[in-house]
Amino acid sequence: MLKPNETALLPEGLHDTLVGDAFAETKVVEKLLSAFSANGYDLILPPLVEFEESLLFGPGKAQSRNMFRLLDPASQRMMGVRTDMTGQVARISHTRLGNAPRPLRLSYAGDVLRVKGTQLRPERQFKQAGVELIGTEATEAYVEVILLGFETLKDVGAKNISVDLAMPQLVPTITEGLGVVKELGDRVRDALDAKDFGELSTIEGEIGEISRALLDAAGPAEKSLKILSNLKLPKKAREMCDELSKLVARLADVAPDLVVTVDPGEYTGFEYQTGISFSLFASGVRGELGRGGRYLVNAELGSGEHATGFSLYLDSLMRALDNADAQRKIFVPRETERAILKQLQADNFRTVLGLEDQEDVVKEAKRMECGFVWRDGQVKEIT
Amino acid sequence: MTINEPMIMALPKGRILEEVMPIIRAAGIEPEADFDNPKSRKLTFDTNIENLKIIRVRSFDVATFVAFGAAQVGVAGNDVLLEFDYPEIYAPLDLDIGHCRISVAELETLSKTDDPSRWSHVRVATKYPNLTAKYFARRGVQAECIKLNGAMELAPSLGLCQRIVDLVSTGATLKANGLVEVEKILDITSRFIVNRTAFKTRSGEISPMLDRIREAVDG
Repeated sequence: MLKPNETALLPEGLHDTLVGDAFAETKVVEKLLSAFSANGYDLILPPLVEFEESLLFGPGKAQSRNMFRLLDPASQRMMGVRTDMTGQVARISHTRLGNAPRPLRLSYAGDVLRVKGTQLRPERQFKQAGVELIGTEATEAYVEVILLGFETLKDVGAKNISVDLAMPQLVPTITEGLGVVKELGDRVRDALDAKDFGELSTIEGEIGEISRALLDAAGPAEKSLKILSNLKLPKKAREMCDELSKLVARLADVAPDLVVTVDPGEYTGFEYQTGISFSLFASGVRGELGRGGRYLVNAELGSGEHATGFSLYLDSLMRALDNADAQRKIFVPRETERAILKQLQADNFRTVLGLEDQEDVVKEAKRMECGFVWRDGQVKEIT
Repeated sequence: MTINEPMIMALPKGRILEEVMPIIRAAGIEPEADFDNPKSRKLTFDTNIENLKIIRVRSFDVATFVAFGAAQVGVAGNDVLLEFDYPEIYAPLDLDIGHCRISVAELETLSKTDDPSRWSHVRVATKYPNLTAKYFARRGVQAECIKLNGAMELAPSLGLCQRIVDLVSTGATLKANGLVEVEKILDITSRFIVNRTAFKTRSGEISPMLDRIREAVDG
């Protein structure tokens, strides 16, 4: 048996990000934030912990059971650790930035903490980075946000990126329009979400036919839109599908290399969203790199604003990138001039300075995991 | 979209495999000769389709392989799907094979005096602890599940518990062990399953495969 090492063991779902990975992740976050900023999105940094009721306001409610809580000894009020940053951005948009001109473009990045991980993301603490475009209902807002997600992912090195579009409110709109009882409506919605054909085949009548067609419509955008356009749908549902085809056409126009798929029945994770939702995928990763869509900020107070945005999950994203461009390390013996170190650093080397005299500089360089050594006034690669 | 990425199909070992293979073959997928050789130690088999490989694993493991994306497609009964309830698995096709049901059974002697509507707590031996607990919870009954991996039918007669939840097809095994079926939980068939991410990112390969298998099932 191994000797127990109690201090090395971390709680479930938490981990130390070490050496190369930590730097690479930080770099990626930096690149994302620069890209967001270059597109006019202003960075905001809300605190890690807030009063419970602020975090649970609006869409945050869904995460209530997944939130760590602590009592604030100062105010004697309950606080929560954020499980998602979008709620905080929404709060800021209608409080402190309530008077800022619309549409308001905000970006954010930070750690979140959850009580329980999911199957694909066992991590309980991970980094999130994203944007919100607040105060507009235009179809162009989807185009801007999806394009921003696609381009930044491409820039940081993700490959074969695809976006899956969903309409979480489509099925409820159809069932409502057809006057289907709620219980049956919910069954249809769940079965479509899980692509459960066995369950759908037991549903009769018009809604049964429509729902089976919607199941078939999950897939490449072109095929999907064709199926959707042939369906006889209630007026409101038809309008949703029209907006979707408008968006698909615009995306094909501005980003021809983006693969677009449609899943009209998906709603898990999009429960609070009101328009078109989307998930971003890339090759080499089991789940999505990020998700986004549109929802109504501050709906509870009757003066809601439409916000469109997305969040990227850094843990998934890092799995999609190959970490090849690790910087070169060079071993520099003791008493090398400071100016040479500066010069090497400017040439994109990471300098590791010897603190004692070495008999064999190359051997020491190898021990310190350096690929290069500074010797006789030159850079030498260690073979 | 890269075509070179391999596509793995996970199939369950045992009884269901015999029923699945005619459908797979009718859909134009032909595994290498070793697949039918019981002495072969191979776990992965090539097929006549480039990039498509078949793996043979236990039925519960099919769901796990597909849920985690280690296999992109597979065949699993809805008993297994409900037991795990993985959100990452889509079941877009009912293969209409492997028909049976999941039922609650108890000793025949007990069933003469027992009234299921009065249960408040039951102790059950089962391969499906999650599905069982959920079913009883919905009925307002607290279920204490004892997980067994096989030979559930022994449990009541040896006094491990009074009831079992298990697959029943003809009922012959129950009868041979002095058990009777008291409640049906659910009908079971085998489903063609697809990993959620693969469904979305590799629909170009998966859609035609689904179409061919659907034709094979209907024809």
